[in-house]
Amino acid sequence: MSKKSYTVNRRNFIFASGLGILAVSVPKSVIFGEARGNRVVVVGGGYGGITVAKYVKKLVPESEVFLIEKNPMFVSCPLSNHFLVNLIDYGELCFPYNNLVVKYGVNFVNDEVIDIDLHRREVITSRGKIKYDYLVLSLGIEYDYEENPAFKEAYWSFPPAFKPGSEHLYLKRILDSFEGERFVITVPKMPYRCPPAPYERAALLLSYIKQEGLKVHLYFIDENDKPPIMTEGFMKAYEDFYKEDATYLTRTKVIEIDPKAKKIKTTKGEIRFDMANFIPPMRAPKLLEKIGIMKKGEKWVKVDPLTYETKFKNVFVIGDSSETYLPKSGYAAHSEGKVVAKIISSRITNKPWKGEIVHHAICYAMVNMKQAIMMEVEYKYDLQKKKVKKFVYEDNTWKVSTAKRYYEWARGLWRDLFT
Amino acid sequence: MDRRTFIKTCGSVATFSLLSSSFFSRSLKAQTNRFKKYKKAILLDKQGNPLNPSSLEVGKQYIFFYPYRSTPALLLNLGKEVKPSEVKLSDGSTYLWPGGVGPQRSIIAFCAICPHQLSYPTPEYSFINYYPHNKPSKAAKKGSVVQCCAHMSIFDPEKGGIVIDGPSEYPLLAIVLTYEEGKLYAIGTLGVELFRDFFDAYRSDLKKMYKSFRRAKKKVDKAVVVEVEEYVKEVIYC
Repeated sequence: MSKKSYTVNRRNFIFASGLGILAVSVPKSVIFGEARGNRVVVVGGGYGGITVAKYVKKLVPESEVFLIEKNPMFVSCPLSNHFLVNLIDYGELCFPYNNLVVKYGVNFVNDEVIDIDLHRREVITSRGKIKYDYLVLSLGIEYDYEENPAFKEAYWSFPPAFKPGSEHLYLKRILDSFEGERFVITVPKMPYRCPPAPYERAALLLSYIKQEGLKVHLYFIDENDKPPIMTEGFMKAYEDFYKEDATYLTRTKVIEIDPKAKKIKTTKGEIRFDMANFIPPMRAPKLLEKIGIMKKGEKWVKVDPLTYETKFKNVFVIGDSSETYLPKSGYAAHSEGKVVAKIISSRITNKPWKGEIVHHAICYAMVNMKQAIMMEVEYKYDLQKKKVKKFVYEDNTWKVSTAKRYYEWARGLWRDLFT
Repeated sequence: MDRRTFIKTCGSVATFSLLSSSFFSRSLKAQTNRFKKYKKAILLDKQGNPLNPSSLEVGKQYIFFYPYRSTPALLLNLGKEVKPSEVKLSDGSTYLWPGGVGPQRSIIAFCAICPHQLSYPTPEYSFINYYPHNKPSKAAKKGSVVQCCAHMSIFDPEKGGIVIDGPSEYPLLAIVLTYEEGKLYAIGTLGVELFRDFFDAYRSDLKKMYKSFRRAKKKVDKAVVVEVEEYVKEVIYC
């Protein structure tokens, strides 16, 4: 790390803190000047985007990196199920972006991207156009109401809480005030963001219900055959530990939701509920379709699964929006961000990366208030030999120590993003 | 460096290091550019006496704090000569790790801060641990490794702490030891240092633990060695 990159860059700081004020008078023309060959624009300040921005600056301090994010503060989705059942405070999930600016010299632009011109190499925000040499899109997911419109109206009453922020806060509020007896959780067909998350949420809520001595029955409506990962660990929960408190319906599709009458119609019949958490199908944001990186009708962006580069040279899509080897998760996006940072850095400096490229993901999931299970998947790609090695490991034994590792796993990620 | 020169260099460094720690420091600096000299610190036992190398049980993991009073290091006696080896970083660069010291050249030390995402042994938990060959990691299905259970990075302590598997970008940072007149000393670090990130990440924790952040960053000239199990309430293996 060069000394320079640790110095507070006044210009970056002004961009970060005062862009809103400056931007009022700026027309939709080019802002921040021309790209000079080393400019990386990252759209989306989640796990993937932050990682790319930080690591490109670490690897090539003289590069010019812009991180465009519409939210002023980062809120973590990983560990948000813990928040729903009072295992952690909401504040533990929130982080400011300031270290990226102050320590690494990333230009943080708190703005929304309206459009991207892939031919002119411009990102169009509400305040102007930003030119790029390298573009990384880490846009996460959108709820796919076209796939199943039944979920759209239910959103306001029973938010999915699969996008970080206010959805979790509201879901927690209605959970805390809930006094009924029938609870419904739905799981969309894979792929969706964070495969174990709905199963963890169901198990945690059942454990919470037991702990509080509540008389609640959970109807767990899953469009999949079974939990797609850590199956054994989760099935032990639903078929054994929580058997009397839960009905687990697999291969069951939601047909209709009436949030006012509190009724849900599924392919296996109608269920009345008092409280629900409807998790809709998901897809890559429509902006990616609009700019031509995804064809109409496609749900996820096709990328080179080893480099995350799209059909447009030097344009990368990472994280939940892309179709890759790794599952859609914050940790995977972070891992992908590191890979892309290396690739971009090697292109900027014109020094091909010699080592292995590691695509790595670890997921942990709570099965009750104290114990957890975990899985690890790794793809190692040798850039010179062009060979991929795959490794998968699952530990489905319920353990308190795994739950402790889970916390450390998240804290490690946050340290990496924000230190 | 070709293999022949490398082996020759390792041999010379190992031999001369027994005689002169200053020669050893100079050699490392010249060859690797990854050696960083710190205060020379004598390793002590719990009673405050110079640590007797033969008191280090093979297969057990010990902890001491070096080069700063808050930066933990693992001390291991592998029970056999640990030969010098070349450590390769993911960017293709290399440095020479000098191997074991002590009467059998079997004693080695590494910084116990995981180079992946900085997990380290605290008085509460230790996620990064040594697994001797007879107590292999279940997850890694192998022993004679150091593994961090938070993100499953696995390192080979016999090969200078290189990454065997998992997401770590860097090998374990080696603590360079010397053995002089029956006493063990730490003299510096070798590899990729992440102390600055460590201090940034844990500033408030360290301030709490050491009463002030400045005290946490104090460099040491002696270090007491204890078993990890004695220092940590819960050693978490995977």
